[in-house]
Amino acid sequence: MTSVPYTERSAKPNGWWGMAVFVATEATLFGTLIGSYYDLRFRTPHWPPPGVPDPKVAVPLVLLAVLVAASVPVQLASVFARAGRVGATQLALLTALVLQSGYLAMQIHLFVDDLNRFSPQDTAYGSIYFTLVGVHHAHVLVGLLLEGWLVLRLFRGITEYRTVGVRATAFYWLAVNVLAIAVTIVQLSPSL
Amino acid sequence: MRSRPERLELIWAERPGLLGWLTTVDHKRIGLLYFFTTLVFFAAGGIEALLIRTQLAGPNGKVLSPEAFDQVMTMHGVTMIFLFVIPMTTGAFGNYLLPLMLGARDMAFPRLNALSYWLFLGSGVFLYAGLLMGKGPNCGWFCYTPLNTKEYDPGLNADFYALGLIFNGLSTTAGALNFIVTIFKLRAPGMSFNRMPLFVFAMLAVSLSLVFALPPLTIDLAFLELQRQAGFHFFDVAGGGDPLLWQHLFWLFGHPEVYIIILPAMGIATSIIPTFAKRKMIAFPLVALAELLVAFIGFGVWAHHMFTTGLPVGALIFFAAASMMVVIPSTIQIYAWLFTVNLGRPEFRAPLLFIGGFIALFVIGGLSGIMFAAIPFDQATTDTYFVVAHFHFIIFGAAVFPILGGMYYWFPKVTGRMYHERWAQVSFWVTFVGTMLTFFPMHIVGLLGMTRRVYTYHSGFGWDAYNFVETVGAFILAAGLLIIFANLLWSRFRGAPSGPDPFYGGTLEWATSSPPPSYNFAVIPTVSSPYPNWDRAEAGVALDHGHETAATTVRDGRLDEVLKMPAESGWPIVLAFAVTILFIMLLTAHVVVAGIFAGIAGLVLVAWHVHEPAEG
Amino acid sequence: MRRLHPELLQWYGLFGAALAWAAQLVVGFGVAYADCTAASRHWGLDVVTWVIVLTVVGVAFGVLAEAAALSILFETRQLGYADAPPQGRRHFFAYGAALGNVLFLTGMLITAVGALSNATCRPA
Repeated sequence: MTSVPYTERSAKPNGWWGMAVFVATEATLFGTLIGSYYDLRFRTPHWPPPGVPDPKVAVPLVLLAVLVAASVPVQLASVFARAGRVGATQLALLTALVLQSGYLAMQIHLFVDDLNRFSPQDTAYGSIYFTLVGVHHAHVLVGLLLEGWLVLRLFRGITEYRTVGVRATAFYWLAVNVLAIAVTIVQLSPSL
Repeated sequence: MRSRPERLELIWAERPGLLGWLTTVDHKRIGLLYFFTTLVFFAAGGIEALLIRTQLAGPNGKVLSPEAFDQVMTMHGVTMIFLFVIPMTTGAFGNYLLPLMLGARDMAFPRLNALSYWLFLGSGVFLYAGLLMGKGPNCGWFCYTPLNTKEYDPGLNADFYALGLIFNGLSTTAGALNFIVTIFKLRAPGMSFNRMPLFVFAMLAVSLSLVFALPPLTIDLAFLELQRQAGFHFFDVAGGGDPLLWQHLFWLFGHPEVYIIILPAMGIATSIIPTFAKRKMIAFPLVALAELLVAFIGFGVWAHHMFTTGLPVGALIFFAAASMMVVIPSTIQIYAWLFTVNLGRPEFRAPLLFIGGFIALFVIGGLSGIMFAAIPFDQATTDTYFVVAHFHFIIFGAAVFPILGGMYYWFPKVTGRMYHERWAQVSFWVTFVGTMLTFFPMHIVGLLGMTRRVYTYHSGFGWDAYNFVETVGAFILAAGLLIIFANLLWSRFRGAPSGPDPFYGGTLEWATSSPPPSYNFAVIPTVSSPYPNWDRAEAGVALDHGHETAATTVRDGRLDEVLKMPAESGWPIVLAFAVTILFIMLLTAHVVVAGIFAGIAGLVLVAWHVHEPAEG
Repeated sequence: MRRLHPELLQWYGLFGAALAWAAQLVVGFGVAYADCTAASRHWGLDVVTWVIVLTVVGVAFGVLAEAAALSILFETRQLGYADAPPQGRRHFFAYGAALGNVLFLTGMLITAVGALSNATCRPA
């Protein structure tokens, strides 16, 4: 009777693969949104349409840098979890959570600010702009909830299940970061 | 000291009674739940078909009003595709058979599996609630813009359509995710990638396709709801939108969807043929790869549904070329199947008869399909009954016939009893004749100019006789299906005991009892070919001290980990209920309450993960 | 030349031509579409040039993929498709890839013929 405990596992755990497939779905979702953005852009010579201001470049790029920088503690959390270091894992996740929450709060402020200047109900530009950016922010929020839940769960100690949870969340954040770069470039493309 | 089967039964058996079914995470029970639910939807879709055919039996039909016809016709398509074929092949056949064929004790994520089913049920009830309220989807299964806008379709009909299909998509995505991880990680030791059964290759192709095809549909439907309910502009020219964007996104999903419909049927065919031809599949690697190739190339042909939209020929030509390419992998498979049967010692029992019918109908449907790759021909026949003929030969002939054959083939495995062979053969012939009579004349009447989706027609076009024959055929077809179900029902209670392996099948589901025990295999087998049941048995791993199954490496199938599996749980059905309410709130534009139920769903997810399987 | 790792050859042999065909389709269609719409005509894209480049590069990529698949097939020619991994598994993939690549190469060529003969914004 052979027994192979998970510590000697060579393949990625099931939970990681599940997150990988989920990421594939979400990446396709964003690919579709970006494709739609360009389809709508092909149709009109004026993009943004008259009356809609060009997107600002500086602040979104700084925020993007903050988000990407916050990916470092997230990936570190995965390393600490695999080493069994509960406290270090929680600290890394909490650091990321704080940075990313700051990012999201600022982004929501910018979002509301944009809504005051032009509306998704006026033009296709507005519709696709707010949908694309809004869906991205929703994904960031989900990432924050995952980190928060893990920090709380880890107070009961570390198990294989929770380690896989941290690894899967770290992979999710990697994907969100890559998608954030794509979304920001598209969002700012009329001004670039 | 209990025996191994007794020990395993104690570990794996679920609660008895209704509560057991509501909280089940056993893939076999979930497969059966899917099976019976999809049969109910099949009956509904079939009644809708018979209503359509009765209305169209003669000119100036008065059976259905135009409004009623629109809903019946749309729901026929939506039901058959989203609520019957896909859940039947993936949810019923896939769920029941995949762990058995892989030598595993369950799917990778058993609770997610249960959630897929309850979400599916919720989405089906949601869609039919609309129909029963007289507000069912009424814009055709692809619901083009501008017909789908508030201006032209002001009631809730298109909202039921959009939200219902997003809801249904959640279930299907969860299922596809589960299948992929199960196929990658839960194979029996020794089952490297090149030793997976062909059915598994088909399921892998289907699941990968679903993962990449469903998001464009979700986005399309979300755009539609945002436009309808929140006044956004995606598809309306006046607001700077693009009407063709709807079609691009829909067909980016829709074309892979039709391969998703047919691939599992090919998987069923490639399971039945070696068993009854008594030889291994010829050119096994080509058949396996052809299944993946069809799925891949299928993503590159979508705009062949848009040849009449006025897009530039320079852009559309890419899709004409790709549409010609996509035929080749299917053709390779057809030749492989025919050679296998001819070079074997075939026994034409009912399952193989259905596969024979499938091949004939698939060739006819495929030939009419390839004709559409030529842009001029497509432009002459778009939106005529010629198209209706093509896709019914493919969907009914090439997707449903293997499902029917598969029902007979695996009936002994699931029930432990044999079906009645003679009546099964009769049922095949009646169904086959009915299919030809119903759908073949549609080619002719389409070339004579009859357009699709018309609720009636006038006399004098030369269409009357053909339509009448089609209606007669539809009732013969219905009779054939009734004979099948009567046979299965009777055999369930009076059939002869089948034993574990009545047909000498080559794959692992035949290596365990009929029906399989709750733990599938007393010993997880070690495998050295895609036909392990035809090989000499090798030593395996017992894993009989906990709720466990084996995980292996992805490419080479080396034993890698002992997985702790979850026991039954009430959270999947609770979560599905919360999501159903969420969709109802979105339908009725109660956004805040919808948000509250989204929050509740989140809390249920937290509770779900509090219980970790390793804790027992 | 140092022999490339067989695993790498296996994956490239399997996916190389497929990805090249996909790129030719997506980029080619995108360029042809953009060339014919009001807003993007001024981007100065030339469909014919793009199609030729995509086809030449794609076919080269695909031919190399076929060479990779054939080299694995040759190396594992004594094995059956169901033989023990990793070599048996590589044989299986190479066997399928060898034929699949022919399909994609042919596909790229017929697409190029079609696109170059019909490089016009006239509605179909």
